[in-house]
Amino acid sequence: MAVVLQQAINGVVLGGLYVLVALGLTLIYGVLVQINFAHADIVTLGAFSAYFFMQSLGGGYIEAIAVAFVVGGMLGWAMNAAIFAPLRAGGNELLPLIATIGVSITMENAMLAWFGPIPYAFDSPYSNDVIRLGAAYITVQNALIVAVSLLTIGLVYVFIKFTFLGKALRAVSQDRETAGLMGINPDQLVMLTFVIASALAGMAGAMLGPVLVLTPFAGTSVIVKAFAIVIIGGFGNFGGTILAGLLVGLIESYTTQYLGPGMIDIVVFVLMLLMLAVRPTGLIAEKRDENV
Amino acid sequence: MRLRVCHFNAGAIAAVFVALVSAQASAEDKIIKIGGLLPMSGPGSYFGAQDKQGIELALEEINRVGIAGYKFEVKYEDSSCSPLPATQAAKRLLDQYKPDIVIGEECSDATLAIMPLMAQAKVPLLNAGSSSIRITEPGNPWTFRIMPNEVMQGVDIATHAYSRLNARAAVLLYENTNAGIGNAKVFNETFTKLGGKILADIGFGRDINDFTSIATRIAGVGKIDVIPTYTLEGQGLKITQALAQAGATKGGGGQAIQLGTIWLPFGFEQKAGKAAVGYIRIVQFDPTDQRPLVRNFIDAFKAKYNQEPTHLHAHAYDQIALIADTVKRGAKDADSIRARLAATKTFSGVTGSVEFDKTNQNDKMDTVHYMETLPDLSWRALKWN
Repeated sequence: MAVVLQQAINGVVLGGLYVLVALGLTLIYGVLVQINFAHADIVTLGAFSAYFFMQSLGGGYIEAIAVAFVVGGMLGWAMNAAIFAPLRAGGNELLPLIATIGVSITMENAMLAWFGPIPYAFDSPYSNDVIRLGAAYITVQNALIVAVSLLTIGLVYVFIKFTFLGKALRAVSQDRETAGLMGINPDQLVMLTFVIASALAGMAGAMLGPVLVLTPFAGTSVIVKAFAIVIIGGFGNFGGTILAGLLVGLIESYTTQYLGPGMIDIVVFVLMLLMLAVRPTGLIAEKRDENV
Repeated sequence: MRLRVCHFNAGAIAAVFVALVSAQASAEDKIIKIGGLLPMSGPGSYFGAQDKQGIELALEEINRVGIAGYKFEVKYEDSSCSPLPATQAAKRLLDQYKPDIVIGEECSDATLAIMPLMAQAKVPLLNAGSSSIRITEPGNPWTFRIMPNEVMQGVDIATHAYSRLNARAAVLLYENTNAGIGNAKVFNETFTKLGGKILADIGFGRDINDFTSIATRIAGVGKIDVIPTYTLEGQGLKITQALAQAGATKGGGGQAIQLGTIWLPFGFEQKAGKAAVGYIRIVQFDPTDQRPLVRNFIDAFKAKYNQEPTHLHAHAYDQIALIADTVKRGAKDADSIRARLAATKTFSGVTGSVEFDKTNQNDKMDTVHYMETLPDLSWRALKWN
């Protein structure tokens, strides 16, 4: 019983971690109907930003999370302004998608050149503190991941549902041209989406850094699962992404316990294929115009 | 007459000059071309980065005067610790650079993939870091391995665990690669034959990031004495920390001792922190070795890079030194290098000694050094071999 409870805790932590990464992906897809392959590298850069802020500038971990959030947001702004927006303006929908692959490979290799291939030991002050509740335990870092995930989900939800900018974002995701006729500048809102999604990715990197193996490829190792979560949850579906993230986290934990970690990818990706075949709209079926 | 003498002298001087120039040109042209197939990208890229430093130091030292009129050069290709990029890199090297010998790869899967290409091209492959038994069994005339293979290592670790640590219960943790599976299998067979019991056999992919669930499972299997772990550095760090957090290993106040391989570089303990206390692992290079060869290597390495050398630096350094040794013994091309390598009997490198058996496997065990991590995260050499 203790093992079942412990694996549930592990699964929720893992799910929270995946949700942090997948939220940005689903935001961009919801507004632009575009997959951003460079998202993983923003996660990685966020982790490195936080690491170097702490190591080189002596900053605290919580401030480092904020730094990663800002760095991610700035990177999202720069990428969209310099690369994606001009390509979208050309009218070809495929080019921005291909460009995200190019940006991803460029960033990965640039980070490899700057930071080197040797894994960094990114320990937050909470990495080794363990809270024990009877037979169960959770590290303070993992508890922080769950808390930040919940807070982020809540803030993003409030922003999208109740603020003017959030409503405008939804309007653009529903019908870009009509939103433009209503006085909303779609290009500015697309930029805002990129900034928010990338800021979230940067912050996710700072949260994941102490959990992941920090190398220039750190984000890449998570992004495949994040894509699976976005598909299982329903592309661009906010609630579905959260539910799918938790589901995948729990599946991983219990698969490790009862089938072995070698079976994790098989179970997760079979589930993804089943969703595509049986319920392509995702876990929470919504009309496309209600997404994001 | 005087003019004639002058002409003769001028002619002689010109002839000597031409001879000298051509001799020098000939000496400059006498290059042993070494292909370096190393992982420069991906999760195993720390191998390539460190190997390259060891190689560059060896080249710098040897090329100051050369060996038997030969200088040595290395052309690197990124083989990415993976079969497909390794074969592509090997083809590029063989087609374009036409090396006399190739060193690499570090990862067994990649090494196994490039071996047929080397045999086909009749270019010897000198390997220092791959452990899969299939690399030298049943034997390939073109592939040589300095490092003890998985059977030599696995039998040795399992025997020491049983006899010196009195271990009777083990959990196996390994990445699902040729090397990971092979090493774990040998440990399993040897340990159970001695009377030990394997409580869990856990393989995982290189894409696993969070080891909390695995540590939870391990903590729940009962009393464990040792946890042999076969993985690259990045995942190794997280495994060690997760096992300590779960209270399974000595580093987390538990009983189990983690046993590791030469896959992990020096500095692992400092990165893993207190979780690594009590960790026993084998390394291919003993920095406390007092042989002058080793002390000189350490001094030269620190002078060049301002850091301590690791076993990866050391075994890459030894690869170049061993090639230079074959040239000293008369080798000059791929075929003669292969022949001299096969005849190697008394080579002494910084990692230990080398003598190849009939399968071209180094059969010396003095390249295996056991180290234990102390509470201050320093090492204690256990001198088990």
